[in-house]
Amino acid sequence: MNESQSTVTNDVILKVEDLHKSYGDNHVLRGVSLQMQRGETKVIIGPSGTGKSTLLRCINQLSVPDQGRVWLGDKEITSHHENINSIRAEIGFVFQSFNLFTHLNALANVRIGPMKVKGMKKKAATTLAMEELERVGLSDKADAYPAELSGGQQQRVSIARALAMFPQLMLFDEPTSALDPELIGEVLEVMVSLANDGMTMLVVSHEMGFARSVSDEIIFMESGGILEQGPAEDFFTSPKEQRTREFLSKITELYGD
Amino acid sequence: MVRHAFPSLTFGRYTSSMSTIWQSLELLIVKGLPTTILLTLGLLGTGVLLGFPIAFAQVYGYRPLRWLCRGYEQLFRGIPALVLILILHSGLARSFNILLPAFTSALIALGLRSSAYQSQIFRGAIQSVSQGQMMAARALGMSKIRAIRYIILPQAFRLSIPPWTNEYSSVLKDTSLASAIGVLELTKQGTLIFTRIQFVMGVKYILVILILVAFVYLVLTYIGNAALGFLENQLRIPGFEMKGKVER
Amino acid sequence: MKRALLAVFFIGLLAVSGLAQTYNVASDTTWPPFEWADAEGNLLGFDLDVMRCIAALQGFEINIITYDWDIIFDDVGIGRADIGASGATITEDRELKVDFSAPYWTSDQAILIRADSGLNIVTALSLGYTVGAQVETTGAGFIQELIDAGVSVIIREYTLYPLAVLDLINGNIHAVIQDEPASEASATAEEELIIAGVIKTNENFGFFVAEGDPNGLLPLINDGVTQIKASGVFDNLVRAYMGTDLTKVEVAWKASIGLLEAGDVEAFAQALADGAN
Repeated sequence: MNESQSTVTNDVILKVEDLHKSYGDNHVLRGVSLQMQRGETKVIIGPSGTGKSTLLRCINQLSVPDQGRVWLGDKEITSHHENINSIRAEIGFVFQSFNLFTHLNALANVRIGPMKVKGMKKKAATTLAMEELERVGLSDKADAYPAELSGGQQQRVSIARALAMFPQLMLFDEPTSALDPELIGEVLEVMVSLANDGMTMLVVSHEMGFARSVSDEIIFMESGGILEQGPAEDFFTSPKEQRTREFLSKITELYGD
Repeated sequence: MVRHAFPSLTFGRYTSSMSTIWQSLELLIVKGLPTTILLTLGLLGTGVLLGFPIAFAQVYGYRPLRWLCRGYEQLFRGIPALVLILILHSGLARSFNILLPAFTSALIALGLRSSAYQSQIFRGAIQSVSQGQMMAARALGMSKIRAIRYIILPQAFRLSIPPWTNEYSSVLKDTSLASAIGVLELTKQGTLIFTRIQFVMGVKYILVILILVAFVYLVLTYIGNAALGFLENQLRIPGFEMKGKVER
Repeated sequence: MKRALLAVFFIGLLAVSGLAQTYNVASDTTWPPFEWADAEGNLLGFDLDVMRCIAALQGFEINIITYDWDIIFDDVGIGRADIGASGATITEDRELKVDFSAPYWTSDQAILIRADSGLNIVTALSLGYTVGAQVETTGAGFIQELIDAGVSVIIREYTLYPLAVLDLINGNIHAVIQDEPASEASATAEEELIIAGVIKTNENFGFFVAEGDPNGLLPLINDGVTQIKASGVFDNLVRAYMGTDLTKVEVAWKASIGLLEAGDVEAFAQALADGAN
């Protein structure tokens, strides 16, 4: 029996097989494959423009891949038979630019998913929403509108919004890149606690500290493909590829350790 | 019967000026104003009913549909309002023997024109809601329709209020064109009054009547703008800015 | 049994009498003394009262509606209104759209000038001065003919006659051409204006209906005019409206219109004429 078959017995939440995506002449994703088990946290790092965000968007079909297949559990997302809306309801997505619904306050933002997508009654949804806001430490801001919140607070609300749907998998697309440095910490704190609670998380980020402390595996992408991947400790101490080494040294220069 | 605030004093042509002016104002308001208001509201309503679906189709529809909508919009914005009124009133009658009452002709013509302008207002508003809003809604699992209904439209609605207030002001004045086909609205009522005034008080007093008419239009504009401003305030989202997102 | 039948008969009679045919009369009510609206919005004037008398005599009801002069021939021609009563001169062009009754009034054009202008009827129209006229009137047509014939005169057209008079008083134009009664009314009302002279154009006014007279109204109208001329009603109406103080006419009209509504045409005309003079 080969390796892949023996891992079938574990809980494979996400499987990505040979994804390709081009924008015009730009072949952004060139055959990317990966797998995630339940409860794993993986961080994708790499230079800009190498398709990291595109990869995430191809997973929940916010961008439609040109080639390749994606499974959530045993449902093939890329198959035409599946209802993409119900699949998306099981995948939480956190955007770099938060994308909170500006006309709704924090509470309404968090409960609209359960109410309008899952058909929950208002009362139950409100209770649920308050719980999630509590979880990210913002229950006192339930009445605040997005424009009244700081960047860090907005991002935390957006995490709560995603959590309220009880997703099987959460995708984070550079969640702290748009934040002022002093606000990054509060968001990373939430993400760390999520990881520790057993959420399956795929994160695109530059935050090496976070990557090092919480992730099960680091994936280094370059030029549309996965160049190297491996457990966090090994990755940072003894990277295999030349390019990986170069990238890591640049990063530690910029961001410290 | 119009009841007068001041008793009318008549000495041949030396009618007391103030009471004549007052009478004229009353006549304007009682006979001319309701028609103007009805016409304005009617045509604005028609404009919304037609304009909104067109805007929607232009943003979310397939290309042939979008192309059709663009054509509609160009057509009704490109033809002068008066010409449109005359086409509907006289043109239809002559060519197809369809006789519409004057008020109806004016309402439909101006309503069609307003719908073209309003479709642009709504389209602009929908399109200024940032893409990220739709993405986030879809990422939660909302269907496109639900995303439009719960996320896009509420925001687009608020964004349309300021330009729509302009449309109201502009349309209110266009209603005076209906006098060309005999609709007895404010301006026409004004002309009836001043053609009489020239003999009762002298031709120079025509100016007074014209000023009265202008005054009534001003008041109507002010009231409408105030009402819409109030609505805008009631719906104001704390801290909300035009582009929809504040990056910190 | 007999009583019941009689009752039914009388009720029937009443019902039928209430069902008199109603016709819409179109009129550009901005032209005293032929048609205008008083301070309460009542529509009166020579044309309108002649029409009302005819209707009373011939047994039909009328509903007078204010129309714009520009479209009145089109609209009556199509049938949007049944009758036109608006001081309309019978012309060939207009005959193409509508059918006219026999003439009920003859009018001439008058030239209105400022008293201090030192002009006379010849100089006003031939030395390159500007003459105002209402659009699409025979007066405007007359000036246009002069221009076409090479006479040195300029025309300026207005949507409404009072606007022309206003311009004349303000000195923006030098003369205004308009049917005689309207010109006289202006000259009386304004101290600064006088009539320079009258141009005998011998225009005939007619009432008009849609081409082909689908409702068969012209015979009734013509016969009505004959009747009121014979009975003195016509003369009384002339006495009431031509060259009188219009505010007095308005008062007299309100006082005597009840007589017409009760059906007494002659008494109405008499009371109106007496009250106006």
